[in-house]
Amino acid sequence: MSVKKRILKAALRKEAKRLRKARRARRARRSPLCRVLRLFGKLFALLAAAYAALFAVFFFDLDGKLLYYVVEPLLVRHYDRMERKNPLEMPYEMKSE
Amino acid sequence: MKLSAIKLPKPSDLTGTLRAVAALFPDPRDVKLPKNRKEARKAAKDFWYGKPHGERRLGDLYCEKTGLYKHREWRGVKDTFYYFHMIWLYNYANMVMDIMKFGSPVTFVKGLWRYRWMGQTYLPVLHWFDRGLEGMRGPALRASAWHYRAMTCVTINQFMNMFEADGNLRNGAHNDAWHHAMAHKETVWGGIFYPWMDKFKHIPLEMIPYFVTCHVNNHTVLNYIDAAQSLGLPGDPCPMCQAEAGIFVLDDVPDYAPFLVTSNEACDGSVASTAIQDWFWNRPLFAMPQPMQFDDPLVQEHCANEIRECWKFIEEQTGVPFNWELLKENLEKQNELMRFEWEKWDVDAKTGSYPINGVAQALYRIYQSQYGEHFIWHFVDGKVNKIMTRCVEKKIDTFPKTRHRVIAWSCAPLYYSNWCTWAYNCWGLNTVINMDSLMFDMTIRTDTLDHCVEDMARYHEWAPMRRMAVGGMHHIFELWDYMERFRCDMVMMYDQLQCKGMQGVVGLFEDEFRKRNIHAIWMPHALPDKRTVSRAEIRRIINDYMTTVMKEEPLDPSLLEFDDDMSW
Repeated sequence: MSVKKRILKAALRKEAKRLRKARRARRARRSPLCRVLRLFGKLFALLAAAYAALFAVFFFDLDGKLLYYVVEPLLVRHYDRMERKNPLEMPYEMKSE
Repeated sequence: MKLSAIKLPKPSDLTGTLRAVAALFPDPRDVKLPKNRKEARKAAKDFWYGKPHGERRLGDLYCEKTGLYKHREWRGVKDTFYYFHMIWLYNYANMVMDIMKFGSPVTFVKGLWRYRWMGQTYLPVLHWFDRGLEGMRGPALRASAWHYRAMTCVTINQFMNMFEADGNLRNGAHNDAWHHAMAHKETVWGGIFYPWMDKFKHIPLEMIPYFVTCHVNNHTVLNYIDAAQSLGLPGDPCPMCQAEAGIFVLDDVPDYAPFLVTSNEACDGSVASTAIQDWFWNRPLFAMPQPMQFDDPLVQEHCANEIRECWKFIEEQTGVPFNWELLKENLEKQNELMRFEWEKWDVDAKTGSYPINGVAQALYRIYQSQYGEHFIWHFVDGKVNKIMTRCVEKKIDTFPKTRHRVIAWSCAPLYYSNWCTWAYNCWGLNTVINMDSLMFDMTIRTDTLDHCVEDMARYHEWAPMRRMAVGGMHHIFELWDYMERFRCDMVMMYDQLQCKGMQGVVGLFEDEFRKRNIHAIWMPHALPDKRTVSRAEIRRIINDYMTTVMKEEPLDPSLLEFDDDMSW
């Protein structure tokens, strides 16, 4: 690596460190209310994203498509391959009282 | 697996696959942007309130053959979000809750893995809601959806009870739940078992593996019909009886109870299927047939005695004595349900504010009256009562595009029970009542045991299809009274092609329809088997009648013809 690149990398690392420090200081200066609000904000964004995703699943019938094209064929294949006892082998009489 | 073994699709295949996937979604090119202010206002109104009936083009929402939706219907902001929250999310969440409430998730997964009727059918249950509730708005959407919720809950309750007791899932071991379960044919009314309800669970044998599956996913039942015929049995008896036997032939029945109570209802085909069940299930059995000519007082007495004999049999099998107080308590609860049903019928008959569509009315009522007492019926009736009262008070026209008030008579096609939703959306045919609902039109006296057994015998005799399908002329022709009572001007006459009982009266009905000048459409079907008369064929028959005889135009032309051959 050339000297120029090494110097540039070191400068970048230093700058990143400085920024991290500044961010930490900013966080420390925040009031508890502000922290709680930010947490709620994040939670709200997460819930909104989940809600939007669920609505997309509902509206575009993605649940139906998944069940029809993936789940049902897999299950049917499983049921078709299952070993089953042959009831015709059972004598036509009560075995147990 | 080596990475080199993975075959990537060729560019040409990839294009085909992408095209197939794209066909499952709405085409963005179909979206028309408004060109002027008037169109923009109309688009905004349609977005907010949903398109009015007649402009909806519901048929365009279907994916070819599968009946899946490119997208679910936009019903306006209020109803779409009601559907999303209170039907789709609510029911998915409650399905999980019900599984936890009535058993354990592990048992559920084991059952799902073991039984075809379970895995193939009950997962797509929300599509069953979709099909029945297409095009519904406002109170009609809400009240009908509550009925579906109740049926889903009772269904989960039953299969979880089966799995919790199932010896097949426990390598043949019989647990406490197995010793506290009572099995009976689905056509034996659950009320017979009320005296043991505190300690035992009664679980119909075929209601879940056969009856409900046909409505939710009609692919499943075909396996069982074919299995019965694979024994060399003829294919022309009632396919219901064939399927009920086929479940046993394919070894797809949970081993959940030590004994079984059967009936002959509704015909000799059912007797034959019981013989196979008796052979393959191999456990103590009590046969409690419903008499053919049940209006005779002597037969009434005989039937009452049979109920008493059945109770003795249960006492012997369980070692627990008959509990009159428990019977009385549960019958009174069931009478409450009947009284509310009468209230519903009253509103249905006398007003245009009845908020329940044809399919929800029929399925809920037959399920409730046949299975018997369950807490969810009361919960749902409470919800429906509120909606209905509001509709009556505000004089809401719940099915505003009704052109004809239809009564559906005889037994319905199980694979297309939602035909009435289609018929309303397409033609304005509003199925206000049906035979299935009207069969158990009675409460049961609980003042003395003798009165009680007498009424229970009558209830037992009035089982599905016995009273009004193969129960003699007097009951079959009650149709005319009910037409008048419910102000119907059209009959949808089901013609179960493999039911020998009803085929005998086709000519008599034809004569009566002509004599009384009644519009009647014969709907041929083979109960659970969609291969005999397809859903498209049923629609074509109705379309032909409406265009050629009634000379009417469809409300939604996109629903006239579409291919849903592979639909659930």
